[in-house]
Amino acid sequence: MMRIIFLECKKVFMSPLFIGLFIVFSMFNMYLIVDNSYFKEELKIANGLAETYGLEITNESLHQLEEDIKLEVGKMTEMTGQEVESVFSFFDQLSMEDYEKYSEEEQSFFHQLQLKEAYLNVAKQIDSDYEGLSMKALAEAEIEKYQLSGNAAEILLTEAEKLSIRFDKLKQTGEHKQWFFLGQPYEMHSFLFRTIVKAVVFEALILIVLATALLTTYEFENRTHLLVYATKRGRIVMKDKLFASLLVTTVIVAMLLGVTLAAYFTVFDYAYLWKSSISSALNWEYNFPYITWWDMPFWKFLSLVIVLLYSCILLFTAITYAIAVAVKNSYFTFFIFAVFFAICFMLPGFMPLSSSLLFITTFNLSVVVMNPHLLFTGNGGLVMFKYHEVLTVTVWTVIALVLYWLVSNHFKKVDIH
Amino acid sequence: MIVLKDVSKRYGDFTALHDINLEFTNGLYGLLAPNGAGKTTMIKMLATLMRPSGGEILYDGKDIFQMEETYRTLLGYLPQQFGFYKNYSPKQYLLYLAALKGIGKKEALVKIEELLEKVALPDVMNKKMKKFSGGMIQRVGIAQALLNDPKVLILDEPTAGLDPKERARFRHLLSELGRDRLVLVSTHIVSDIESIANEIVMIKNRQILYKDSVEKICQTLEGHVYETSIKYEELDAFRNRAILLSEKQEQGNTIVRFIHKGKPDVAWLPVTPQLEDVFLYEYRDDVDGEV
Amino acid sequence: MLRVLWNEMKKIWTWKMLGLLFIVNLILFFLVIEFEIEYFPNGRPELDSYRIGMEMIEKYGIEMDEEDIADFKQVYEAQVTEADRYLQARSEFVEVGWDTYEKYRAYDPFEHPEERKEELDFQLMHEEQVDLFWELQERERLIEFHDWKEVGLESIIADSPEPQKTRYVELLENRMFQLYPEVAIRNFDRFIEGVAATILISVLLVVSPIYLQDRNRRLLDLQYTTEKGRALYRTKVLAGTLSSFWVVTGLLAVYFVIYAQNKTSPYFDVPIHMFIGKEYWYDPTFFQYIVLCTIGIYVLSFVFVFLAMGFSTIMPNYVALIGIQIPLVIWMIGDGFNRLLTGMIDLWTAKWMVPTVYIVFVIVSVGVMVYLSKREKKRDISM
Repeated sequence: MMRIIFLECKKVFMSPLFIGLFIVFSMFNMYLIVDNSYFKEELKIANGLAETYGLEITNESLHQLEEDIKLEVGKMTEMTGQEVESVFSFFDQLSMEDYEKYSEEEQSFFHQLQLKEAYLNVAKQIDSDYEGLSMKALAEAEIEKYQLSGNAAEILLTEAEKLSIRFDKLKQTGEHKQWFFLGQPYEMHSFLFRTIVKAVVFEALILIVLATALLTTYEFENRTHLLVYATKRGRIVMKDKLFASLLVTTVIVAMLLGVTLAAYFTVFDYAYLWKSSISSALNWEYNFPYITWWDMPFWKFLSLVIVLLYSCILLFTAITYAIAVAVKNSYFTFFIFAVFFAICFMLPGFMPLSSSLLFITTFNLSVVVMNPHLLFTGNGGLVMFKYHEVLTVTVWTVIALVLYWLVSNHFKKVDIH
Repeated sequence: MIVLKDVSKRYGDFTALHDINLEFTNGLYGLLAPNGAGKTTMIKMLATLMRPSGGEILYDGKDIFQMEETYRTLLGYLPQQFGFYKNYSPKQYLLYLAALKGIGKKEALVKIEELLEKVALPDVMNKKMKKFSGGMIQRVGIAQALLNDPKVLILDEPTAGLDPKERARFRHLLSELGRDRLVLVSTHIVSDIESIANEIVMIKNRQILYKDSVEKICQTLEGHVYETSIKYEELDAFRNRAILLSEKQEQGNTIVRFIHKGKPDVAWLPVTPQLEDVFLYEYRDDVDGEV
Repeated sequence: MLRVLWNEMKKIWTWKMLGLLFIVNLILFFLVIEFEIEYFPNGRPELDSYRIGMEMIEKYGIEMDEEDIADFKQVYEAQVTEADRYLQARSEFVEVGWDTYEKYRAYDPFEHPEERKEELDFQLMHEEQVDLFWELQERERLIEFHDWKEVGLESIIADSPEPQKTRYVELLENRMFQLYPEVAIRNFDRFIEGVAATILISVLLVVSPIYLQDRNRRLLDLQYTTEKGRALYRTKVLAGTLSSFWVVTGLLAVYFVIYAQNKTSPYFDVPIHMFIGKEYWYDPTFFQYIVLCTIGIYVLSFVFVFLAMGFSTIMPNYVALIGIQIPLVIWMIGDGFNRLLTGMIDLWTAKWMVPTVYIVFVIVSVGVMVYLSKREKKRDISM
């Protein structure tokens, strides 16, 4: 049986098309990463801070940082011959001509210090900023913005309450007081998860749907169906094909993710920030910081996201397989899957704004997979539920199993012409 | 009417056929050879699906590839494996092909009814072909080959999937057809054509081995074919003495039919060579058992 | 022979294909097009921009001379007076010191934020959404564009490289300034890109299987030995091209009818250089620009159709057929349409680039089909 599975997998891995697409996709990902890497030198500041002052932002470490900055600013006063209060105010009154009078080293020094100042300022304001945050207000704003009412609004408010509790706990433990890349200018969280990981997910899905469709309908399209299904292994080969597809999926995702993430972490050094909590106050890109339901350091979040997405993609493989067995035509399988994926994703948008259906319909794989940056996160809009991901995967595993069972039974008995 | 002149076919390094010189006129010809001998290659060339690497194929003196549709109008072809639309009925399928064959719709409908009668499928004219048995599909294939009343009818393994009754009917149809047109049947079911073919063409080693009537071909083995009864245990030893054509178990003994070119044993019974014997003899290198 | 063509069309247009085409269009419509129709104009100030634009066209036509601009400014002044009155009539505004429009306008939330003023501002603009104040804002923007039109253009000229510079000089000399609100044309740009993507996917969906289908089903042996023979290849080219034509035309018709709901027709006669924002090499009117985009869609669709038919001829299976087209389609939708369709006459794209690309595309795709069609005549059919 293993040999059959191996031979099936070969059909995909030896195909120039898959190899070609893999290369194209990988290159595109590289391009994405490199194109956005112009600020990677600046990111070293955050690493430096974590290294020097420890990952946690305590009153002492903050104080220390402030002192150190004051010293550096003092140096600036020497260097520039002006009375410098802060780098920010210095630049404010600096003209382009004067700036160019300084050497590259000096400019770099100013710049670095300016960044440190920025980090310091943000860090100092954490407490007051967080005081002003209310999960309830967030929920109410969302209700207002999307014009929710009835059940939908209630559900949102209930979740907001739960999130409030979590938020309070977070404040207490100081989980959010950890260094990370500054959210606003760099948006590293979005970049990694929403841009890069999502691109990988899309690419993987394309490859996998094509591969699964290819394997599953292979005999029919190559007219070897009469031969193969009459062999000793017979129709059970279909099960082998499912395993082969799952195996192919695993390998493709691993390779694509591996190559892309390797490139990403080579370009962007996370050195001391691997343990930084996702809920760090610095991970604040838009109106709210990211607040995960559980205390999660970056590495854990990344791992969980990968595991979760893997599961979803494997489920997608199974669903594609079921479609392929039913339809027996790889061309239509591809488009039917695309339609299915799109419908799942778009469904919540068509639900009445007062109904709980609005939220129920977000428990599907497409929604999960299209929002890697909001996974396990409380303020993730429609997908904010604490167990959203777990529930979705569980429910859809059941659905996939049922589909497999249905389709298998059908195939066992269906006439093969 | 069809002449193959110095025809050869090469695929890269591999030569499938060379120095093929043949002439066909009206009548029924059988093309006999094992698979891989070049049968299908020759047929595909005659059907214009492949071009010869060397030499030419002429119909009434004109190159069939230059004649283009003038030749194909006269051509009826049944490939070994052919495709069809499983959601079409035979009527729809034949109408589709009739259009490609340049037959007007009204005329086609009449012909289709006739032909489906002829191949004994009148009741299923409007049923979807995906429900058909292999034999039924084969018969539809034969029908389509006859749609345009071809002057050159080429059939590649036409009796595959037909039961004995159907094969008998088919033999009858073929000999009728062979009266006023060229019919070329490629097969390895010798019994299908030995009784009806005017001439048999056999290909060996990429060239023509025989092109002659059945009798004349059988005569090549005249006096060398025998049958005798031996014990089963003697079989292996026997193989070293003669070329085995067939073995039959009867009442505890093995009746062997074989070829021996030297002096016969007394116990051996000389029999009239059949076409099958020649076939097995000539192609024995490709088969088990060497002398 | 027409019957053969008809038969091939029937093979393309099966019920399954029609159903799939319909669903795919439905999904794509909601995914990329619907937004531009339902949310047009999209909130404020777009709504006001749109309205004022309509007013300008009605009063001043497609060009504004000095008289017109003076009139526009007068309207503005009148509104300012009205605003003054409005503010004065409401005590809460007077209380914070906003008893004239000028004082209200002077408030800078970045320099000196004040909570009460923030509240009131929010109430005025977002809760109550008082038209007057939105309009005033937009008129100010337009007036500013007008006042700075010459200086602005001159400074751009100073910084521009050739050949853009020449064009800018031309614009300045012919007094072709940007004065009109651009809401309508930007909306159209986004709309048409969505439509182009939808049409591209639709047309490829329908046409791609064309050659692969019969090859898969081992029909070539029978087809090529009929009288029609290998000429069938060209019949299929025709069938595919015709089918594509119907798909593109049909979908364009449907989506343009839907577009009419945006009621942008008053803007149609305005030359597009008048719209604030982009500069162009040429001076079509908005309507001519729409026509240009439509032609672009036809050409690009046919280029892709020919390529698809080419792939259909040589790819070994459906998966490869889809797989090889995916990077091309993704590029086209993500980037290509932007450059080649709505960016066709963009001043900052080299003038020769777009026509050249189009011509190359057409030559390559047609060339491929000509080559394959000739090849089909001669090649050995073994499968």
